[in-house]
Parts: sequence; C-alpha cells; structure tokens
Amino acid sequence: MACRRNSNLIRGLLWTSPWWLGFLLFLAGPMCISFYISLCDYPLLQPPVYVGGHNYKTLMADPVFHKVLVNTLVYAVFAIPLGTMMAILLATLLNRRVVGQALFRTCIFVPTVIPIVATGVVWLWMLNPRYGLINHALSMIGIDGPSWLASPGWAMTSLVLVGMWGVGSPVVIYLAGLQDIPTALYEAAKLDGASRVRQFWHVTLPGISPVILFNVIMAIIATWQIFALPYVMMKESSGPDRSTYFYTMYLFDNAFRFLKMGYASAMAWIQLLIILALTGVVFLLSRRTVHYRGA
Amino acid sequence: MNIRGAILLIVLGVPSLALVLFGPRQTEEVPAERMVLQYWEKWSGIEAQPMKRIVARFNETVGADRGIWVKYCAISNVEQRMLIATAGGDPPDVAGVFDHVVPQFAEQGALLVLDELVAQHGIDSVKFKPFLWDIGVYQDKVYALPSTPYTVALHYNRRLFREAGLDPDDPPETIAELDECARKLTVYNDEGRIVQAGFMPAPALLGWWHWVWPCYFNCRLWDGEKYRLETPEGLEALRWLARRRHETGIGAALDFEGTAGAIEGTQNPFISERMAMVLQGPWVANWVRSFNPGLDYGVVNFPSVSKEQRNTFVSADVFVIPKGASHLQEAMVFLKYVLQQEVMEELCKEQCKISPYVEPSPVFFDGHPNPHIRVFDEMAMSEYAFGHPQMPTFKQVSKEMLFMLESILQGVRSPEQAASDTQKKVDEIVADYNHMAERRRIAEGAR
Repeated sequence: MACRRNSNLIRGLLWTSPWWLGFLLFLAGPMCISFYISLCDYPLLQPPVYVGGHNYKTLMADPVFHKVLVNTLVYAVFAIPLGTMMAILLATLLNRRVVGQALFRTCIFVPTVIPIVATGVVWLWMLNPRYGLINHALSMIGIDGPSWLASPGWAMTSLVLVGMWGVGSPVVIYLAGLQDIPTALYEAAKLDGASRVRQFWHVTLPGISPVILFNVIMAIIATWQIFALPYVMMKESSGPDRSTYFYTMYLFDNAFRFLKMGYASAMAWIQLLIILALTGVVFLLSRRTVHYRGA
Repeated sequence: MNIRGAILLIVLGVPSLALVLFGPRQTEEVPAERMVLQYWEKWSGIEAQPMKRIVARFNETVGADRGIWVKYCAISNVEQRMLIATAGGDPPDVAGVFDHVVPQFAEQGALLVLDELVAQHGIDSVKFKPFLWDIGVYQDKVYALPSTPYTVALHYNRRLFREAGLDPDDPPETIAELDECARKLTVYNDEGRIVQAGFMPAPALLGWWHWVWPCYFNCRLWDGEKYRLETPEGLEALRWLARRRHETGIGAALDFEGTAGAIEGTQNPFISERMAMVLQGPWVANWVRSFNPGLDYGVVNFPSVSKEQRNTFVSADVFVIPKGASHLQEAMVFLKYVLQQEVMEELCKEQCKISPYVEPSPVFFDGHPNPHIRVFDEMAMSEYAFGHPQMPTFKQVSKEMLFMLESILQGVRSPEQAASDTQKKVDEIVADYNHMAERRRIAEGAR
C-alpha cells in the first residue's frame, strides 16, 4: 500500500515537475538570492559583501525613498478607486443591448493593446500646454489649461488620468462578471419595486463583488509597480519636485544606473511586503463585502 | 474551410510565406579562418554609418592580414548591456561608451587597464589633446581611449540679434552680457506668453550637461574627495539660474519649454528660430542642415562669470575593453587602426565633432559639415576646460543635480535651500559609497 502511495507521489511529482521546477529555478531561487543580496553590497561585477541590515537602515533615512513611497501611495489612492469606478461604469454601459455594442466594446479595449511607449508619447503631446488637444479643448470653453506635466500640482493628476486610458482590461473582466449575474435576481428586485439605482446597488455590485476584489488586488499590484508610463513621459526627469518619481523607477535607477543591487533588492523586498500587506487588508475587508454565490 | 477562412489564409499566409522565403537576410558572412572580434557601439543611424565603413575597410585590409573580423553591433543602453555581459562572463571585445561611466566602471572592475597594451601597440598619447586623453585616465591608469570628442558652446541666432538691435559680431562674453542679450531677445505676446525666448537654462533644451552651470562661475565641482556645490561660486550660479527664471517668468518659461519636443528636430526652438541662444554641441550643424538650412547662426565659447577665465565643457565618447574580453591583442590592433589620425578624423568629421588630436590635419577642417568647427576645436585646448566630474557615483549625483536644477527653475526651492539639500544628499551618496568600499576592502582582505 505504502509502496503504491510512494509510486503515485513520484509519478505526480514527475508530471508536475515543469511547474515546480520552474517555480524553484525561476521564482523561489531568485527570490532567496535577492533576499541575500538585499543584505549585501553588490555592485554586479564584484562578489556580494555582507553588510547586514545596512541597506534597510539607509533606506529608512533616505528622503528620496520616502518621496517615492509617498508618490506611489498617492498615485494608488487616486488611481485604484477612480479606475475601479470608471471600469464598472463602462462595463455596465457596455452590458446594455444597444446598436453598435461590439464597436463600443472594441473601442474601450483597443487602448490596452497599444504599447505603453506609444501611449506615453501620444499623451505627451495631448498634454502639451500650448499645442495639446486637452488645453485646446479647455480653451474653447474659456479655461486656460495648466502646464500639465511641468507644474507640481498637475503632474501627478496627469499621470492618474493617463492611467485611466488602460481601463479596458478590467472592463472586460467586469463585463464577464456582469453577464454572470442571474437575470432572476433583477426580475425579483423589479417585482419588489427596486429602481435601477437600487438594482445596481443591491444586485449588480454584490453580484460582481468577487470580480471587484480580484481587480482591486490586481490594481494594487500594478500601481505599486508603475514604471513604464512615467518613465516614457518624464524621461530623465523626476518631475516637478520629484512628484512623478515612483517606487519602481527609483528601484530601477539604483539597480541599473547606480549599480546598487543590494539597495535595489532591499527596496524590492519592502515593495513585496507592502503589496502583501495591502492585499491582506483588502482580503480582510472583503470578508464582509464580497459575496460568493453558493457560499 | 469557408470562403472567409480561405481569404484570410491567403491575405495573411501568402505575404508571410513570401517574407520567409524572399525576405531580408543577414548579408555579413565571416570569411573562413578569421577570428571574430565583437565591437559593441551605441551609435546607430547616420552616426553609425562612417564607423561601419571604417570597420569594413579594416576587415578588408589589416583584418585580412591579421586574421581578424570585426563585427559591429549597434547596441542601445550599451553601458548596461556591457556590464551585464561582463558580469555574465561573456563581454564584447571592444565597447564604445560615454566618458562619464569610466570612473564608475573602473571602480567596479569592469574595465581592463590599458597602459601596457597602449605602450605595446605604440599608441602615442602625446598626439592627443591632453584633456581628451585624460578623460580615459582614472587614478593614473588608462581605462579608455578617446573616440569622437566634442565641446559645447553658445549658439546664437544672428538674425534675431540684428532684429533686437544687438551686434551679431559681438556676442556675449560674460554672464552679465548674456543676461542683457537674453532680456532684449525675449519677446512676449499680449497674453504674456513667450513667442521668442532669449536664453533658457532648462534641461529640456540641453543634453546630459544640465549640471554644468556652476562651472561657468569658476566652481570646480569635484576635487577628488568632496563634491563642492555649496561654495560661493556654486551659490552664485544657482542664484543666477533663479534670477534668470524669475525675470523670464516661471509660468511663461514652463509654458514655452513645454512646446519643445525632441531637440533633434524642428521642435527645437533654436532650430525653428523661436529661441535666440542655446548651449549645445557641434551636432547642431546636422540639425540645421536637415531642418533649417537658411539659419544664420554664430558659435562662441559659452560666457563665464569673467572674461579672464572662459570655462569650457569638453567631453568625448570613448573606447574600452571590458575585463574578461578574450581577444585583447586583436582588440588593440583594431583600436590602433581606428585611432590613426586620418581614420579617426574621418569618423569625427562625419559625426560633426571635433578632432581628438593636438594638431588636426588641414583636411579635417576642409569641408567639415560644421562651419564653426574651428571654434569648437580650439575650445578643447582651453586651459579652463572641464569635463564630467571623475567620480564613481556621478550618475547618482547627476540625477540629484537635475532635480536641483528643475526645482530652482520651477521655483519650488530657493537657490540656497537647493544647494544645501543637494550638497547634503551628495555628501551622503559619497560617504555611503566610501563606507561600502571600505567594507569591501576589509572583506577582500579577510579572504
């Protein structure tokens, strides 16, 4: 009996080996090495020298680290709720049976397949203070548009707004979630005299709450890793008063420009802990607010 | 298969098949019994063309005699890739990098010390402009050989000078004169927007030399041990930046700079004659030729705080041999070929740059694409020439300097505050680097 169980175990391990070998070699292994490097001075070409908690201690006193932490947090605080609300709103609209529904869905999704670099360059011109379409449109209603990317007050706002451009991906997931809500629930709500707003509040939102949870967690991960868009749009600059210098950009600079791999690894571990902590908080909050059908 | 499927298959399949069968092929075939020398270079497009021609000529002549075949690889972010390849144990044999990375890479042990190889192959340092040769020397060792050098100078629009009542043959020599000219050349419209700028020290209109301003106030930023920004000269420079900015109007200046896109084209306000003066390198002549051939402009050394000490920024691309490269002698044969005066000057000329040699050959100036090349070339011999600070942490410091400059220009910090904050941050960067280097020395001593 025991022999058969062992044979099954070996066979199981063998068949699943592509996954667990990949996991060990390309994820768990590098993560362990990265943790060790975070305790070292490692300029890439010389062997790592163990320095204990020096990198973490230096990070705690580094004003640039504090700045990028706050910037990323501010970005997340605005981008996640705004993105979620917009995606749900668009998904709800796209879920309605109207003429050209497929076309509207395509239009919302298309921006997500455009490379981020192209998006960044296009928005750079859209937000140009003198020749940009945005300020031109504002001038038509008598508003003198700001220097979007050059003024400390507007640079972060601009990036949050540009980030909304890629809202198509969560919209598709919300759409699938909306279509999964049984129509019987809406019919019952109608019979009870619920208005459209009440139906949305008491049927739609609880119905897609697991999807919202999934998308919010994905958004937390994505916003804490924001890199490409500000990197393309701000180039070498950190933005006015470093207002568009984000966590991953500083991590990248430390790793590949300043060759401080130990420092960058310490930053990566702190980033992981922050994302884990925020995800944990969201999971805790979700116990009361997320409804699983059949649970 | 339905009709739609068949059409799709034809529309997509036939061109794909044609591309595979008749599409472009790599044409370079290495002759038998040639040793392949990997040469990584950052130049692409028109900058790469002359070098590719030189490589081809080498392969046909010296390379054929010595059994060497140089393979030119245009690589973006060449420094990072070279470093990663070196760390991985498979570096290129020769790499073309920017001069400011030499101290950083030398300290990391990424570069081969070239003194012996240079002597062995008879490369004569005396022929080169002293400042340019010294760019590749770090802590008395040769780590890099000069490739195409340049200086940056004040470019000014002669037509706009005339229109503003200024004498185009008497350009500004001091910072005070520059301010005076900038005032006269700046034109606003009724809405208070700048339609023509005199001069702007904004990073968007410069290149990687955004940190140079204190040097034009006689401030030498790096003394080998300490970065000295918070000095009377450094502060004077930062106060000048703030003064210039307030005089122009911060909002108006930001609005104007926002219109400047890629500086290599018509969006460059100097090329489109919306800005009268700019601090740029000799490559501007290429942009002028391509985008505004009628532009009437002059070039002079950038004004300094006094006429007596005309400071000049000099820099160069350099050749290095990464540590661990496997064909050292062959690499030096190739570098010796490229560093022959007629070959190197051909390259510099086509890239619109100056000659690295003390005495440029007469043909170098004849037909040079930059009509002002003699001005640039003479500047590289100035006794007041300065280059990138030779510090291993320069990339980090440069980032801090950029942030400092932006915060002054945006009116976020006062010059005094910016100088104090930046000095403190740079001191920390240097101290942390030294601390880590000391720990490394102790650890290596214990091994």
